[in-house]
Amino acid sequence: MASIKSVSSIIHPGKTYQYADNGEPMRGGMKDVYFAPDKSYVVAFYRDKQDFNSKERLTKLVTQYYDSFFNREGGEYYKSIYCWPTDVVQLGTQIGLVVPTYRKNFFFAKGYATGEGIKGKEKQGLWFASAKFRNKQFALRLDESELGNWLSYFQICVKIARGVKRLHAAGLAHSDLSYKNVLIDPVNRDATIIDIDGLVVPGLYPPDVIGTADFIAPEVLSTKHLALRDPNRKHANRLTDLHALAVMIYMYLLYRHPLKGGKINSLDTEEDDLLSMGEKALFIEHPTDASNRPKLGQLPKSALPWSDVSKLPYTLTGPYLKALFDQAFITGLHHPNQRPNADMWEQALLKTTDLMQPCGNTLCDQKWFVFDNSSSPKCPFCGTPIKGPLPVLDLYYRFKDTVWKPENHRLMVYHNQYLFQWHVNRNVVRNERLTAEQKVPVGYFAWFNNKWVLVNQKLNSLKDLTEDKQVPIGSMVEITDGKKLLLSNEEGGRIVMITMANKHS
Amino acid sequence: MTGEPIEAVKNGIQVMISSLRQNPQAIETAFISIITFDSTARQLVPLTDLASFQMVDIKASGTTSLGEALKLVSSCIDNEVAKTTQEQKGDWKPLVFIMTDGIPTDEWQSGLDEFRKRKTAYTVACAAGSGADSNLLKQITENVVSLDTADSQSISKFFSWVSASIGVTSTKVEDAGKEVSGLGELPPPPSELNIVT
Repeated sequence: MASIKSVSSIIHPGKTYQYADNGEPMRGGMKDVYFAPDKSYVVAFYRDKQDFNSKERLTKLVTQYYDSFFNREGGEYYKSIYCWPTDVVQLGTQIGLVVPTYRKNFFFAKGYATGEGIKGKEKQGLWFASAKFRNKQFALRLDESELGNWLSYFQICVKIARGVKRLHAAGLAHSDLSYKNVLIDPVNRDATIIDIDGLVVPGLYPPDVIGTADFIAPEVLSTKHLALRDPNRKHANRLTDLHALAVMIYMYLLYRHPLKGGKINSLDTEEDDLLSMGEKALFIEHPTDASNRPKLGQLPKSALPWSDVSKLPYTLTGPYLKALFDQAFITGLHHPNQRPNADMWEQALLKTTDLMQPCGNTLCDQKWFVFDNSSSPKCPFCGTPIKGPLPVLDLYYRFKDTVWKPENHRLMVYHNQYLFQWHVNRNVVRNERLTAEQKVPVGYFAWFNNKWVLVNQKLNSLKDLTEDKQVPIGSMVEITDGKKLLLSNEEGGRIVMITMANKHS
Repeated sequence: MTGEPIEAVKNGIQVMISSLRQNPQAIETAFISIITFDSTARQLVPLTDLASFQMVDIKASGTTSLGEALKLVSSCIDNEVAKTTQEQKGDWKPLVFIMTDGIPTDEWQSGLDEFRKRKTAYTVACAAGSGADSNLLKQITENVVSLDTADSQSISKFFSWVSASIGVTSTKVEDAGKEVSGLGELPPPPSELNIVT
């Protein structure tokens, strides 16, 4: 039977926390975890004795850093993307953390498609980063109701990228980002970063972990044989976080690991593993070096179709993400300074969602895909072609009085697609600091009487430049090939240039 | 092994399998094989991935053919654990868990010699109950866990510890990358177990 125990905060005199001890705590890598009697928080004790530095670091984490992250404008948003410790406790010589319990949506409502095995368990990221658990022939696959659709994973990756971005902006590194330390919920398009207590402040607090297998940066693995204080030994830091972030985004979008291919680097299995993820790491989809392509015949059938990189290449994620994957896994793989930062991932993911089209096939597993710039587009996952003309809107900004330049930002139109402020005006940046007002659509696109139209809901100065006509609020303008629309005549207002794809289907 | 201990082992394996089947890392990577030994040693389940693994009825009574079991596990490692070749990645080194409540009744030294030629990531021997000789098991592996009583509760604790050691966790910063060996590298066993040192 569980007995209720009590521990005292080392920060707030007199403050105590209760927890239920049944002698069988949940075991993490370094901590034993006990629930509060009402399950509103957990108390997690370090099994190893924590030294003075560590105590000081944890104290800062729950006081100074907590305040700077959450007790200021925009703090509520960040509260949702981290599971941040709130207090440090001590029991004898054992140090523990008080951490809020995860939100309800991070526990499986159904879990496996067949059987109750994991119902109510945490939605650890790996469940959603592996092809197996979504393969319809696999015995332990997840129920479809748990999987969300492809667009869900873009939103999830945006949240993770924002979480990493904020940490790095504060000069901190997570040091152990992995699918074990991020819970994700594709149903509600939600993600939260957990195990924050390993945070590293460069120069001040050294890391305790080198990371979790699959996410450890090549330079950390290839120098781990060196002594701890050897100047050439590489430790977890902001740049290794960026490797882990890139791996995670690749895995959540493509359900395979970017470095685990068929290349043999040593006949000793363990050494091969170390080299393949470390010193000799090579992107499985490297455009000119094909030596690490996955060998399909050697992989379990349950890894299909995602293990087949020729059928589902990373270019499916669109041009913006392709460029970043190249930077992360080709140029930056062994040159940490070249890795894309979290902000770049966030922006590329968001821009890519503007390229997405819903699949017309209601049975399609992914339901969404990225427009591939072809004249007769079809869903790459189920092969269903798009029916009818498809408007492609390219965004331009005013460079000089009469000179407009492309933004390298495109908006694909679909029925009931919304237009937002961040499309209209380049001074509005689509990020977590958007106000509620800015999240209200300013117009929408519709397929209406066999024509594509844009309905103006909130734009004061929308103008059809081709026909030289104002489009007042409450009216609509037809979307036709070659037409130019001025979305706003305010400072930062953009022009869209319309191209019709799929004209002859 | 008879009576309560063998029932507890069966139950322990069942619990272990079901807990591993809730762990995505284990489902991705772990394969399981079961070998029993009494008057002879038999491989009851060949190396099988977790998702397809079906529990079978375990029987063990009478004598304790530990030597034969060690020989059998050696040949199973040779035949079923894939080695890395120029063409194909191999499997990781296996984890071997040996449970016994008795003293070997066969010529076990030659079996041990065979077993020693195989590389395992680690081998854990569990001496269940007062009949087992933990000093003898120490010759097989330095990792010997002794259950004072082979009752169902302590055996199930042993298996939940085994399950935890199969799961993947964050790798701690070590002074130099040593190969994992020795119990110090595993999650600590529950307090009711005694590690023989």
